[in-house]
Amino acid sequence: MTRRTWALLGLLALALLGYAGWHWARARFAPPETAVAPADTTQVGLRAVTLWFADDSGDSLVSESRQLPDRDGLHERLSQLVDALARGPERRGVAVLPAGTTVLHAYLDDRGLLTLDLSRAFQQGFHGGSRAEDLVVGSLARTIGSNVPEARRVLLVCGGAPIASLGGHLPLDQPIDPHAVP
Amino acid sequence: MRPRAVMAAAFLVACALVAAAGRSAHAAGAATAGAPVAPVVQVGGVPCVGADDLARLLDGVQYWRAETRRLVIRAQGHSLTFTDGAPIVLLDDRTLRLEAPVRSLGGELQVPVALLAQLPHDSASVHLLLEANGTRVRVAPAAGYVGPPRIAEGADETRVTLVAGRAAQARVVSRDREHFRLWLPGAPAGGSPDSLAAGGRVRGVRRLPAGEGVTWEFALAPQVTGWSLATAPSQDALALVFGSGAGLERFSASGPSGPRSLRVVVIDPGHGGDDTGVTVPGVAEKDLTLQLARLLAAELEHRAGARVVLTRDSDRPLAQPERAEIANRARADLVVSLHFDGAALTTAHGATAWCPPVADTDPDAEGQLLVPWRDVAGRWSGSSRALADAVAGALEARGLGPSRVRERTPVALLGVNAPGIALECATLTSAPDLVRVTAPEGLRDLAQAIADGIVAWARHD
Repeated sequence: MTRRTWALLGLLALALLGYAGWHWARARFAPPETAVAPADTTQVGLRAVTLWFADDSGDSLVSESRQLPDRDGLHERLSQLVDALARGPERRGVAVLPAGTTVLHAYLDDRGLLTLDLSRAFQQGFHGGSRAEDLVVGSLARTIGSNVPEARRVLLVCGGAPIASLGGHLPLDQPIDPHAVP
Repeated sequence: MRPRAVMAAAFLVACALVAAAGRSAHAAGAATAGAPVAPVVQVGGVPCVGADDLARLLDGVQYWRAETRRLVIRAQGHSLTFTDGAPIVLLDDRTLRLEAPVRSLGGELQVPVALLAQLPHDSASVHLLLEANGTRVRVAPAAGYVGPPRIAEGADETRVTLVAGRAAQARVVSRDREHFRLWLPGAPAGGSPDSLAAGGRVRGVRRLPAGEGVTWEFALAPQVTGWSLATAPSQDALALVFGSGAGLERFSASGPSGPRSLRVVVIDPGHGGDDTGVTVPGVAEKDLTLQLARLLAAELEHRAGARVVLTRDSDRPLAQPERAEIANRARADLVVSLHFDGAALTTAHGATAWCPPVADTDPDAEGQLLVPWRDVAGRWSGSSRALADAVAGALEARGLGPSRVRERTPVALLGVNAPGIALECATLTSAPDLVRVTAPEGLRDLAQAIADGIVAWARHD
């Protein structure tokens, strides 16, 4: 290689070292900087929500925190959560909700029983065994438990009708305690 | 060293540093996502927490006013207003002064953690704490923390001490000797339990997932016959005593000690008829469960001399009430419902044994006298759990794992008045599991392993 090539390589190395140093110093000392202004959210606030997805091994659930526009009504809040679960994780994990699942209705009684009516795709789109069933129900129940604290128990219904089970392995004929899902 | 070697080395070091910087930033974000903790970052030498994290921990809603560079977090009935570059925070109508200003970093305001001490601590609000090492901010649970069990083996008894914020609310949720469970309100803290003494009365300790609390499970030696629970006068600790002396409460009857009866075994091949179960090309779950049931029946008749009843011996649909009725009419000593798992995740593999959750099975306990028939399998939760453990262990021993046990009553045990499990013998959507199961001796190996577990359960050793 020529002397000129080596000089260029040297300059490149110095530039990379400089970038690494700047990155390190920014994280360590954090000098004030001109922030990238987030969108003006004066009218609509952002709320942190916790979503639960299956982990990559399919053995347990893993949580993800996300900022979503704040919604007022129960139906709107639950629709937003179910839509976010259906879209899937942004980091690690895997979406388990059957494709096309949406919230049709949501009703919360004065004893904390949330009846969540999901579209027929919830049952028709499910294929799998007991572990997959457990992950789907766990993902929904934990997400509700994390973000809708007023729901003390959750009854899942589908297309307006009660369901005995999602895939025939684990019962869904009775309400679930979202805080007791392992 | 020659100049070109120096430059090459510098190039490699620079690349490594760039990669490491990227990795550390990613890891810091991923480690705390979703957890009730947030990292503390140093901003100009001041320990700070990000406003996004603060809002998340407080379960608040953020409103950003771009023109004035003000952020409002509304949470728990309070309002916090931060201004970029100002050491002033408005808390409702009060003004709080901080030693350092709120600063913007990467588009997010960084709030000095000194603010935490000035946040309101009324009963409705979340209480945030700075961890002792100063690296994380954590939500303090309303019920406080639950420490790990400290175990002291004595000559006559074993004393287990637990420190907990609300120790007085502790309750024993299972009195089974092999699965003695104590629930306490609060969040786990303080590391692992003590290591166990060889030959001691406490043979195993583990923490189980529990809603809004912590459940510790103790496995006790056969010579332990009773227990007692006492709360310390300070109300923040309790002592659990295990021993064999008089005056101790007895464990629940999980069947007489010694060999368990194995006269009638009901095997339930899952699915059937139109209900194919999990399907993969060329294989249907309903066919595998029936073939396996026949092999297991022959194995149990030969090795245990048991009378075996199959809920179905042909390819026909069968509703759960019919399956339960067959098992109950046969006066089954044991019910095994056979299944094969399937999942969209191709990484999912192995076997799972489902059994009713172990609960307080003391027949004298208040509220235990009336059980809905649907949940009657819960009466046998202790011995069902033992069966699940035995079968899962037998699968592992023959190299047919990994196997796991889950405590949740499956549909297959609704209305079944006997100890039982629903066993997902393998995962058909996993290529290695499918190859193993469909090999010429695959189902026979499975039948032998399940029979090993059932025979070990019946020996009760």
